Amino acid sequence: MLDVINLKKFFDTPAGKIHSVDGVSFHINRGETLGLVGESGCGKTTTGRTIIKLYEPDEGKIIFNGQDITRLPPDKMLGLRKKIQMIFQDPYASLNPRMTAGDIVREPLIIHGFPKKEQADRVDYLLNLVGLNSEQAGRYPHEFSGGQRQRIGIARALAVEPELIICDEPISALDVSIQAQIVNMLEDLQKNLGLTYLFIAHDLSMVKHISSRVAVMYLGKIVELAESEELYSRPLHPYTVSLLSSIPVPDPDKSDKLKNIPLAGEIPSALNPPSGCNFHTRCPKARQECKTLEAVLKDTGAGHLCSCPFI
Amino acid sequence: MSNENILSIKNLNASFFTSAGEVQAVRDVSFEVKRGEILGIVGESGSGKSATMLSVMGLLGNSGKIKSGEIFFKGQDLSQNIKDLRGKNISMIFQDPMTSLNPVLTIGYQLKESLKHYKWQGDINARAIKMLERVGIVPAEKRIKQYPHEFSGGQRQRIMIAMSMMSEPELLIADEPTTALDVTVQAQILKLIKNLQTETGTSVILITHDLGVIAGYADRVLVMYGGKIMEEGTRREIFYNPAHPYTKGLLRSVPDPDKPRKRLIPIEGQPPNLLTPPKGCPYAERCPQALKECFEKIPVEKIFPDSETHKYFCWRECESC
Repeated sequence: MLDVINLKKFFDTPAGKIHSVDGVSFHINRGETLGLVGESGCGKTTTGRTIIKLYEPDEGKIIFNGQDITRLPPDKMLGLRKKIQMIFQDPYASLNPRMTAGDIVREPLIIHGFPKKEQADRVDYLLNLVGLNSEQAGRYPHEFSGGQRQRIGIARALAVEPELIICDEPISALDVSIQAQIVNMLEDLQKNLGLTYLFIAHDLSMVKHISSRVAVMYLGKIVELAESEELYSRPLHPYTVSLLSSIPVPDPDKSDKLKNIPLAGEIPSALNPPSGCNFHTRCPKARQECKTLEAVLKDTGAGHLCSCPFI
Repeated sequence: MSNENILSIKNLNASFFTSAGEVQAVRDVSFEVKRGEILGIVGESGSGKSATMLSVMGLLGNSGKIKSGEIFFKGQDLSQNIKDLRGKNISMIFQDPMTSLNPVLTIGYQLKESLKHYKWQGDINARAIKMLERVGIVPAEKRIKQYPHEFSGGQRQRIMIAMSMMSEPELLIADEPTTALDVTVQAQILKLIKNLQTETGTSVILITHDLGVIAGYADRVLVMYGGKIMEEGTRREIFYNPAHPYTKGLLRSVPDPDKPRKRLIPIEGQPPNLLTPPKGCPYAERCPQALKECFEKIPVEKIFPDSETHKYFCWRECESC
């Protein structure tokens, strides 16, 4: 359904060029969930926003349903946005505080020319779909809890019957007991409406739960991509290994046995990414060659992709 | 860990007075912190975990007030003495290392500032350099002259930790110290806190919403909800033998990456509004096993059979007992 080929997005700043997304390639099949994980600044959000064309890509190709949308003229964008929608991280900042819940969900219907007579019914239907009720349509965002606001954001995204939804950290700002509610709802909606998700997050256990395949990003590049079970049970790239070993496990015995493989330091600046394999400055297994060797994502067998040249 | 109580809180009630009314953030909370232990407090937003700690530190601000209750630190009434002890015997680190440091002062100035107030005997500069080295900010002699913006988020939290340990405090309160950090950096910071705690024997109160962090680092655990304590016990008691339906619900709602995926079991509903706290158990509204009295009366403390450390507040007899 979606093919992303060597996508690049740079930002010019007074300090220089930030390599936010630096040659990212993946595909998403219809009806699946691709998880995109990585730490802050790795470019996962920029990747999502570039796919929906909130940012103009600098290089590479985005192919959606067989159509090249990389350089789509502005007048064609409306049609594309009907097919690809987005759910945002912060349910407090992504809803207009001066609009009622009903108006927020109705707005995309107006923009996309949905028949006026049917709009009210559709808003009711959408609110019910996400577990809210029609009586709540007249309330303002501040009258809802964080979890309920995220439901409003989801209803808005579903309003125009999209095929692909980019979920950018949709549960990170929510409390633990509410996260499971939203994740279950996203799974039900996917099954019932045939949706496809790009699920961007840094919570690795939740990503494993919801995704069919997972891509791990580091400093603008995908370092590993595999079936979700495969990635978690048999991580190959030293970064993935370390990342997985850092997840705190809610089980004291397992936690005590866990061998955390520490990473030295923090993510280098994307202003001036390290040469060669850009992970070599923190890699516990780095060799001399890693400073110069180009790290390219390649298949290690059965669709398990890894960019480490020594795997 | 010894049996000596370093901090003891009895029947604490604290509220914030807002334009919407009185938010009863802490309601009848009692617990102890033992010397040399890491006490984890886990709870969701609005559970009262941070407000309890702000009460201890005397930092509730203009809108907050301790309404009743006692807070004793090594036998001294904290309501009288907190200004002499804060930053010296008791120190605190906060969630956001970006806003906890003053951007216009060097980190050296800020490190040393905490000791000036207490007439520290000895070379303050040497102490600051030693602490910076201890938390891994090197070369300390050079970096001590730098400003906060020259450090990354993880480094700033290390500096905050160095600052909180300058006066060799007996109690360190860490309020969500790693929530703003990435998972690989989180692991580094938690290990640093644990190592410092082992070396110095400082007691630590570790506040978090992350059950994984609690499982990995706390000796004992308090579970809070709706301004009240729901359950208290050792780490193993809480994770392997939870007695309170809220603790059970919380543990069930997180996915276990080691098990094949199955549908998550969420806790339905929303947390209570503490402007009008429920008459009975704050969890009753969402509790699948609530009885009639749960809605009417606040549960009394029950002791888990054959345990001196495991307590819970529930009207129901727990099935796992």
